[in-house]
This record gives sequence, C-alpha cells and structure tokens, in this order.
Amino acid sequence: MGKIRVLIAKPGLDGHDRGALVIAQALRDHGMEVIYTGLRQSPIQIAQAAIQEDVDVIGLSSLSGAHRTLFPKVIEALKERNAGDIPVVAGGVIPSEDIPYLIEKGINKIFTSGSSTDVLANYIKQLISPEAINVAPPKKIAHIGIAVQSIDQAISFYTDMLGLKLEGVEAVESEGVKVAFLKIGESRFELLEPLHESSTIQKFLNKKGEGIHHIALEVDNIEDRLTQYKQAGVKLINEEANTGAQSSQIAFIHPKVANGVLLELCQHDEGSES
Amino acid sequence: MTERNKWEQSVEKTVKRFPERKDTFTTSSDIEVKRLYVDENTDQYEEKLGYPGAYPYTRGIQPTMYRSRFWTMRQYAGFGSAQETNKRFRYLLEQGQTGLSVAFDLPTQIGYDSDDIMAEGEVGKVGVAIDTLYDMEQLLDRIPLDKVSTSMTINAPASVLLCMYIAVGEKQGVPLEQLTGTIQNDILKEYIARGTYIFPPKPSMRLITNIFEYCQQNTPKFNTISISGYHIREAGSTAVQEVAFTIANGMAYVDAALKAGLDIDAFAPRLAFFFNAHNHFFEEVAKFRAARRIWAKIMKEHYKAKDAKSWKMRFHTQTGGSTLTAQQPDNNIVRVTLQALAAVMGGTQSLHTNSRDEALSLPTEDSARIALRTQQIIAHESGVADTIDPFAGSYYVEELTDKIEEAVNKYIERVNELGGAVKAIEEGFMQREIHHNAYETQKSIEKEEEIIVGLNKFKLDEEVNPDLLKVDEALEQAQKESVESIRKSRDQEKVHETLTVLKEQAKMDDVNLIPYILDAVKQYATIGEICNVLREEFGEYTGV
Repeated sequence: MGKIRVLIAKPGLDGHDRGALVIAQALRDHGMEVIYTGLRQSPIQIAQAAIQEDVDVIGLSSLSGAHRTLFPKVIEALKERNAGDIPVVAGGVIPSEDIPYLIEKGINKIFTSGSSTDVLANYIKQLISPEAINVAPPKKIAHIGIAVQSIDQAISFYTDMLGLKLEGVEAVESEGVKVAFLKIGESRFELLEPLHESSTIQKFLNKKGEGIHHIALEVDNIEDRLTQYKQAGVKLINEEANTGAQSSQIAFIHPKVANGVLLELCQHDEGSES
Repeated sequence: MTERNKWEQSVEKTVKRFPERKDTFTTSSDIEVKRLYVDENTDQYEEKLGYPGAYPYTRGIQPTMYRSRFWTMRQYAGFGSAQETNKRFRYLLEQGQTGLSVAFDLPTQIGYDSDDIMAEGEVGKVGVAIDTLYDMEQLLDRIPLDKVSTSMTINAPASVLLCMYIAVGEKQGVPLEQLTGTIQNDILKEYIARGTYIFPPKPSMRLITNIFEYCQQNTPKFNTISISGYHIREAGSTAVQEVAFTIANGMAYVDAALKAGLDIDAFAPRLAFFFNAHNHFFEEVAKFRAARRIWAKIMKEHYKAKDAKSWKMRFHTQTGGSTLTAQQPDNNIVRVTLQALAAVMGGTQSLHTNSRDEALSLPTEDSARIALRTQQIIAHESGVADTIDPFAGSYYVEELTDKIEEAVNKYIERVNELGGAVKAIEEGFMQREIHHNAYETQKSIEKEEEIIVGLNKFKLDEEVNPDLLKVDEALEQAQKESVESIRKSRDQEKVHETLTVLKEQAKMDDVNLIPYILDAVKQYATIGEICNVLREEFGEYTGV
C-alpha cells in the first residue's frame, strides 16, 4: 500500500501550533504524508480538506478549551459529507473527564499532553492497517505460576496426590524467588516461594495470600514483541526481557492490560527443553 | 566623579522616593547583607556590568532594585464573563497581588464578536469575553484605575481595548495621565508564534505607531507595547533565540516609529518587554542580564537615544507554561518556584507564576493562590531580594551572560541581513528556527536524553485527577444575548457615523486612528464592528 495520508488540523481560533507542527514532522519521519491546514479552520473546512486530500486519518489539535464544541462538529461535518469512515484522533489540553464524551461523539482516540509521537504514529499505522503490528499468537501456556509460602510444604499434594513429576527446583535471583516446576501435559505448574521480604512474591502473599500469581505464555522473538507493545502503548512491567528460570527470557505485562490477570511472556532458547 | 560615586548618589535620590524595606538587612547569624557586592579590580567591571541603575544595566535597571520595592506580582487571569473575572480580580487584589493582568478570550483577541460564527466554542474559554465598552465597565467595576495598574494581553485589536480602558478611566473620573498599565500590542510575535493576528504587517505596524504617539501625548504612564519573547520560547525556541528574536522585533518597532516621524526619546521609554523563565536556572539568570545589556547598547549606540530611560529594558516575566506536565501536577509548583527564582535573580520588574494545573486547564482559585504564594515566599522569606544581582561575578554566570550576548548578536545580524524582523517573519525564518528546536526537544524527551520528572522518568502508575476549573458552557449563549441587547439599546446612528469616519480615516496612511476608534468605542460599537471596518480597509493576514 501507498503512504498513509494524514490531515493535521487546528479547529477554532487557537494559535498554539507547536504540538501540531511537531506531530506533523514526527509522522513524516514515520513515512506518512502529512497535510497541515494552518490555523483557524472551521469544522466544515476541515472536513472538506480531508475529503479533497483523500486522507486516511485526521488529527485535531486544540489547546483553547473549545474541543467539546468543535471536535464533535468535525465528526458531524464528515458524516454529512459521507466521509464518516475517516478516523479522527485528537490532542491538546484536554481534561481527562472530557475524554469519554469525545470518544462517544466519534473521536477514535485522545492523546493528551506528554504522549509520545512514536505511540501516536504506531496507533495510526495500526488503525489504517491492523496487520501492521505483526505478532504471531503465543504458542502455548508455558506455565501457571502459583505463589506459596513454602515449596517444601506445598509440593507433596502436587506430586503425591496429583501424581505430577517434579522437574527441578531453582532460585531465580532476579525475581527474588525459588521456583519448582511440575510438568502437566505440554505445560507446567510453577510454584513460587519468596527468597526474601522484598520479593514481589512475598508482597503478593502479604496482600492476597497463596494462590494463582500469573500465567506465562510461550512466545518467539520476545524483544520484538516488547518493542511493538511499547510503541502501541501497551503497559508493561518490564520493558526489556530479563533472565528467568531455565535460562528463559521473561517479561511481565501489566495486569491492567489483561483484565486483572498478570501475564508473563517467556521465550525458551532453541533446543532447551520446554 | 567615579561611577561608584554616581551610583551612590543615585541610591540617595532613590531611597528618598522609595525607602528601603529595612534599615539594615542581615542574615540569621547577624551578618550584614550589603546593598551591592562589587569586585572593582576587574578591568571590565564598568564596561560589562556597570552599577545597578546605570548603563549597560547588566545588574538591573534601578539603583536599589528589590531593596526598596519587590517586583510587581502580577498574575494573569480571566475567564468566562466580565462579572466573573471582576470577582477573581478583586479576590487577587485582596490576597496581596499588586497589579492586574487581563486574559481575553480568543474571539476578543482576534476581533470577533461573541456571536460571530468564527467564535463558536471559544467564548470565555481562555480569557474574558469583551464585546463592547459595557463588558469593560463590568470587568473593571470597583477597581480604582488611578491606583491599580493593568496589563492587557491584547495584540491585533490592542487599540480597541486601550480605548475601552481609557473610556472606563474617564467614567471613573481618573485623569488620563494617571492611567498606568501595559498593552501587549506586539503583533510580530503573533505572526511568529502565537497566532492571534488580524491584519497584514504594514497596517498592523501603523496601528502600533499610532498607539505610541497617542499614548505619549495622552497617557504618558502607559506602556505602549510589551515586546514578547515569552510565546517565542513557548513555541519551542532556545533561550538565545527568545532574546534574539524579541530584540529583533523591538528594533522593527523602533524603526517603524522613527519612520513615522516620532522622536526616539519620546517613545522608547515606554517600550516594555516580556520574557519567559524556564528550568535551566543559571542560563535563565544570565539570559535576563544579557538581554538588558544588549538592548541598552543597541538603543545608545545604534539608535543614538540620549535619554537614559530609553536605554533601560524593563521587563515582565512569566514562568514557562510548556515546562509544566499534566502528569503529577503538584510537581509543577516546584518547577515554577525555580523559574520564578531565576526571574528574580535576573532582575525582573514584574512576575507571573503559573499555576500547577495549567497543563490541564485554566487554574482553579486554589492553584492560582499557591502560585501567588510562591512569589510571596521568595520575596519575604528567602532573603534573595536583599542584595542586588547576587550572581554578578560568578565565573559561570558572567561567562554565560557573555556567551548569550554573543550568540544573540549573531542572530540579530542574520535577521538584519534578511532585511529586518518583518522580512524575516514573512520569509518564515524565525518560525523555521523555532520549529526545528521544538522538534529536537520532543525527540530528546522521547529518547529520554532529556529527563522530565513524572513524564519520562519517576512515573506513577495511577495518576490522580485534580479538580479543574470549568467554564460554564451556558456562558457563550449568555454573552451572545448580552451583545445583542447592547446593539439594540445604543444610538445606532452615532455608531454608524463613528464607524464610517473611522473607515475614511483608515484609508489615509498618515492619520492617527486612535481618536476615531475611541469615538466608536464610546458609542458602544462592538469590537467585531470596529475590526471589520479595518479588515475591509487593511485586508487580513493569512499566514506564511
């Protein structure tokens, strides 16, 4: 496909165009074609320009507080011209409480002060061609992590009652835990015992008691995946992979992203048993 | 008589009018704090620094600086209706603020009435909506204009708002020569960075020189322009570019006034400046010192001004809005404190401290009070105002001051080579330089080469949403109705007559338009009506 075409527009009378200009330049650096309307455009002028220039996406910027009136008018003007399918993103000085209203009125996403231009560019790329973020689905559930006070005390149920095979016990200093792996089909249970008071597992136990702590997904190319997630604004606990048990590369995704479930990405080296 | 003796004499004269705040200034350990610390052994002391209140004013423009009077604490405010803003003004005055500073909404700043289609969604948002003299009367209700000085951030239609202010002054019975205040009236930086222009450069420069001339004769205590680097910096410039482009613009105004036949020493003393204060503390302090020295040299050596008042760069400072973060907004209080301190160490005449929530919205009353308290704490508790220009003689600050002066002069030369500031703006030179730096800044923040606390480092998972000021959406409708009812109740014929005369006079380049605008204002002509008459004659600027 050709270059993504973007219209950056300043609706209303606001003259602050530092942000609009910086974003125009950043999107150009990301290989997009950017048309900037200049200041003081009415919603109708913006809709007309978008249609005339045949853009894929519109970016609106306002710092004057007129967004609640003007942004929805741009959407209306697009719909009136049968161009309601052009997505609109927006930014500027927008109080967070106004965001739901603007989304409801048809703005795809609001990027407020402090947003990174990379995140914006990747959002647009994904919006226009969703396959742009190209990640294979995880291969399997690598393990389910269960926080326990003591592996020694917990282990007998898993081995004796369930009859699972204990593969080994090791200390993972980077995470402050001792882990025991129990094989179950193509997957495993991972029992986690804190090594010290400041271990995250100890904090988990203090807060919630014993129980399921995380689910680990087996992936390829963990670093690429993390980079893409980062650019797409996916909240990560580890922006770079650390070394985990069995010399795997691991990184955690923030539980907010996955409906309260803590997900771990892990990648085992070629050849290592997994 | 030595320079030192001259300074001592000027101190004696000054303290008679403005006694020092204390008989003696001391530290907690009872060490005396002297008025001035000097190393007169350096050869270049007098040439480079000079004494406070003496050429080239590196150390400040008054002989005693803040030993006598603190800077003016002037918080920029305005939102919604004139009545509402009037309440905030009187609150700020009660809280110890010493000057007013009016923010107008965008329709007012661009010369549209509140019911103009172009004004939609903008009425009362970033400032107060003023359509006619009636609104101005409400805005200044019970504020004595002979005692309070008022700064108005108004540029393209500055002449109209100045006339409204004068008309209110007359109604209050204040003699015109007692009116004090400032209009921003700096159109060149609007083309460069701020965007509230109406007319093309040539007629805009005419209106500005008309104001210079009118005020010199009628309101001699009014600052006729505030040549502003603030917005240039906010748009992304460096400290050096801020000073360079501001001074280049200043020279363009001086050139225009000279060309219109005004005498330099008649208008130059009423030129004021307006700078930004960002986070790099020492660079900011040095920037202010350098700016004063550069302007003094230009006025004395290049323009041959004779009156020392023409050499002095008096300036207002505002802390840097673009340095504030929406994340962890309370951190902004600390940024503002550092920036305000730099402005004070740089010898500012007045100061606006930003509120912590300005990356999110207009400030709430609580935030605006903390911002004012920040200045009051610096003034009354820190002791930094007890001696003059305490950073003088610091190897670092003096070298920074020299280096900034050098770099600024290079930029000014480049602007002159392009044919002066107006030409450089029309050619997009300054805009490109600023944008280039803005983009580089953004990249270095994203790469975390530049750390912004709370934004790209030391982040919080959960941001707390503070309470924000909301402008009532119903206000726009109320203001539309108000201007409509004023239109119905005034003497239509007289309005028409004054506007027709204004239009005729605007055709003639050598006529001063201010008295004609004043006539129209007094008949309650709207700002839109007046600006439309001028739009028809002057045309509109549409950007580079």
